[in-house]
Amino acid sequence: MVGTKGFHKFLWVCLFLLPSLSGLLLFTGFPVISSLILSFHKWDLLSPARFVGLGNFREIAGSQQFWAALGHTIYFIVGYLPFVVAISLAVAVLLNQKLRGEVFYRAAFFTPVVSAWVAVALLWRWIFNPRFGLLNYALGLAGISGPSWLFDPAWAMPAVIITSIWKDIGFLTVMFLAGLQNIPTVYYEAAAIDGASSWRRFWQITLPLLSPTIFFALVISLINSFQVFDQVWIMTGGGPAGATSVLVERIVKNAFSYSRMGYASALSWVLFLFIFGVTFVQIRAQKRWVTYE
Amino acid sequence: MRKYLIGLLVLAVLLTVPVITFADDPVTIRYFTFSAAPDHLDDLNEMIQIFEAEHPNIHVVVETAPWGDYWTKLPTLVAGGQAPDVFELNYENFVTYASRGLLLNLETPAAGDAAFNAGVYYPRAYGAFQYKGMQLGLPATFSTVMLFYNKDLFDAAGVSYPEPDWTWDDAVAAAKELTDLANGVWGLHSPVQFWEFYKKVAQNGGSFFNSIDGSVTVNSAQCVEALEKMVGFITEDGVMPSASDMGGMSDGDMFLSGQLAMNVTGIWMFAAFADAPFSWDIQVEPGFTEHATHFFANAVSVFAGSQHPEEAWEWVKFFTSSPEMARIRVASGWELPALDNPTYFADYLNLTPPDNREAVFESLNYAIVPPVIERQNEMQDTIGLLIERVVLGQMTAQEALDQAKTEIEELLK
Amino acid sequence: MNKNTPPSRSDLRRLCLYLITVTLSLGMIIPFLWMVSTSLTGDQYVLRMPPRFFPSPLTIKSYLQLAELLPIGRMFLNSLFVAFAVTIGQLLTSSMAAYAFARIRFRGSSWLFLIYLGTLMIPFQVTITPLFILMRYLGWINTYQGVILPGVFTAFGTFLLRQFFLTIPRELEEAAFMDGATHWTIYWRVILPLSKPALATLGVFAFMSSWNAYLWPLFVLNDSSMMTLPVGLAALHGRWLTRWNLVMAGSVITIVPMLIVYLLAQKHFVRGVAMTGIKQ
Repeated sequence: MVGTKGFHKFLWVCLFLLPSLSGLLLFTGFPVISSLILSFHKWDLLSPARFVGLGNFREIAGSQQFWAALGHTIYFIVGYLPFVVAISLAVAVLLNQKLRGEVFYRAAFFTPVVSAWVAVALLWRWIFNPRFGLLNYALGLAGISGPSWLFDPAWAMPAVIITSIWKDIGFLTVMFLAGLQNIPTVYYEAAAIDGASSWRRFWQITLPLLSPTIFFALVISLINSFQVFDQVWIMTGGGPAGATSVLVERIVKNAFSYSRMGYASALSWVLFLFIFGVTFVQIRAQKRWVTYE
Repeated sequence: MRKYLIGLLVLAVLLTVPVITFADDPVTIRYFTFSAAPDHLDDLNEMIQIFEAEHPNIHVVVETAPWGDYWTKLPTLVAGGQAPDVFELNYENFVTYASRGLLLNLETPAAGDAAFNAGVYYPRAYGAFQYKGMQLGLPATFSTVMLFYNKDLFDAAGVSYPEPDWTWDDAVAAAKELTDLANGVWGLHSPVQFWEFYKKVAQNGGSFFNSIDGSVTVNSAQCVEALEKMVGFITEDGVMPSASDMGGMSDGDMFLSGQLAMNVTGIWMFAAFADAPFSWDIQVEPGFTEHATHFFANAVSVFAGSQHPEEAWEWVKFFTSSPEMARIRVASGWELPALDNPTYFADYLNLTPPDNREAVFESLNYAIVPPVIERQNEMQDTIGLLIERVVLGQMTAQEALDQAKTEIEELLK
Repeated sequence: MNKNTPPSRSDLRRLCLYLITVTLSLGMIIPFLWMVSTSLTGDQYVLRMPPRFFPSPLTIKSYLQLAELLPIGRMFLNSLFVAFAVTIGQLLTSSMAAYAFARIRFRGSSWLFLIYLGTLMIPFQVTITPLFILMRYLGWINTYQGVILPGVFTAFGTFLLRQFFLTIPRELEEAAFMDGATHWTIYWRVILPLSKPALATLGVFAFMSSWNAYLWPLFVLNDSSMMTLPVGLAALHGRWLTRWNLVMAGSVITIVPMLIVYLLAQKHFVRGVAMTGIKQ
């Protein structure tokens, strides 16, 4: 077979990898390495950087703000990830049925994804409005007195989570739909002939064959949700009273508002370690449940 | 012979052309601003055209960024060696840039410029942009914060209008008459945040720092009392909506919808309130034991490393003190020039609403500047967070300010 | 289905499906409707709470004012150009790298892939400043390549396509190899045509991330003639006042092209016909 022997293979690998890798090294690799170096310095962007060794990391370890932000970030992930994946999967299966007007439905689900957070946040602030918002109105009909949502330290994060799930469903649905389309119909036909129920078909055919896509969705969503930022910044600004302060919000505040780029870089690398650790575990675990062809 | 003369003529022309073009070589200076876009770009361009007509060898290029991102982009430009020649600064950020030697000392070009007269500027504004004896910026605009009130609501409740000598007790008493929660009307709104807090502290005779030894006095009795009263508007007096009551609506929106009888906000809101469906006016803000009012000023500074300091100087001089600039600003409602000359403001004073525009200048008598330290934004966020906790009932005012003192002392290290 | 029989369980099931789908879909597009409705009002500085879905009077003034205030046409074209370039760049480079990871077994491929993933784990807010300095060094500040290129090279596309390529049965390639095909031929003639859904998906995401990108274009572009939509529209959020009807008009203008791109691409989300005939 062509392209399987040593040097020949090396050349092929180079050909295919070089465009992507060289760009990645230059435009991402270089800044990433710079930020690593910066994490050992104090830099306010306006004067020269000063080496401080592990000073930033020591400050992080003792910083109440960091640990609070870490806690809030994990809270977000736990509340967001399982639901957004499960709901998106269900919606994808739903939209995969031959329904009339499916183009409209797919476009509808994708609209929140392409909407800017500014507009989405405004709408949801109305929905969560304690006095005349849609949610508390609906709860009122059921006899429940709704909380202040975005203005209540206990309920602000759940509100942000709900909004995030709503906005991101379309993103994962698109992904799952493409994956579902990739499954050859012949499997379903064979199963139908064997008399398998639709639930069984889902578990035995759909899920396993979709598992590479699900794996992708989980890994990407985890990496992204560790870095949750836009919705927090726009909806609550980290409040009320710091209740929704998350890691990237701390990073941005330190980098640009407090002019502490070195400290912010150190925070980013601590975040990186968490993300890398969890992703690594996920990759190792994929052998157990992900089936490739 | 003729060929010789022609040759000489050609040579003469060839020699003069570069000299002419060299002398007229247009210099381009970059001006970075947050206040022009998008509503006043036309006004700015008009000013630039007048300026370039007077200075044909200088070309001004405008770069803009929205307020929040301006403070992200400017340091990045500086870090990347791409700093603009002239940029806008507000007071809090001025100190950051001044203390790092990034601003050109304008006294040098000023000394050599007979046409420059520092006396045209409002003294407080001019002095605000000095650092360690150097003039590092020229004041471009200023604004104040006033007590806005809805005259219709006052008339309906039979309450007499705010007076310039009101204390907050007077204001709260009036607010109690005006508050009508059944109809969704609150009597008063005075934002619970850093800027209002240091002002209330000053109104109560206190301060963040001891002016003599610089020690932190943010938890003094006057400060604690000021905070308690501020928070009390919401929790005790019940005349002010909490953040939850406002539900994400801005105080400006609420005032415009007739839900606030009195609102403490800045004169920049005149444009937004101009079409209000009710009549309103302004008054000097009430005080506790004394008056203290906000004074916000913006300056333009020249980057210390600019390649064209002389041209930049001409631009900042024009932009901050020329009569044409003042005329354009006042006519289009684009902030007030920081000039100590009542003739510029005659037109301003005649515009309505509000009627009582004189109050703007009266409040300058009590103007104070914010307490500024090196790690300013961190202090602002810390105080803001602690104030929020007091409003939410998570801490008492004394506890919050004791913690503020500890944290500010940390920041000062 | 027999038209004369009473509704069967599967008919009811279908009705349920329709109900759920329509309800959910409506729930998804309500903010968009609100945006459109606010953009058609004359309200400037006030944001109505609760929002009115049927503005009166109805006016397109906001769009006209927006066009007067900002060079919308120019910004739109800039955004379009940049987004197209980034999309094509991503599709090409990511698919090639994904092929290498998914189809060529080489030593160190797992570790290299892990490094690829690693680049997604550092928030761009801290890499943006060193990147800016790099751009200055390359002299690419305020240039189209300066805006486009950093967006082209992302591990996200490689990861997504790798997962899809891994699901393609090897028998197809083995047959092609027997016929003497090279990796390139297989990539171009076998893998890519079978990956239309994945490529369409990546195309949509790449276009979207570039179209909505804000922070990087803000930093790297100074010239107002090169500004993209998000950067130009951000100017509508003043320091003290925001003109909501203009903001919403701008948002609508930004969203509509994205939806069009999505609708065009989603045609390719249909099953690859070749796949259906594979015997296992």
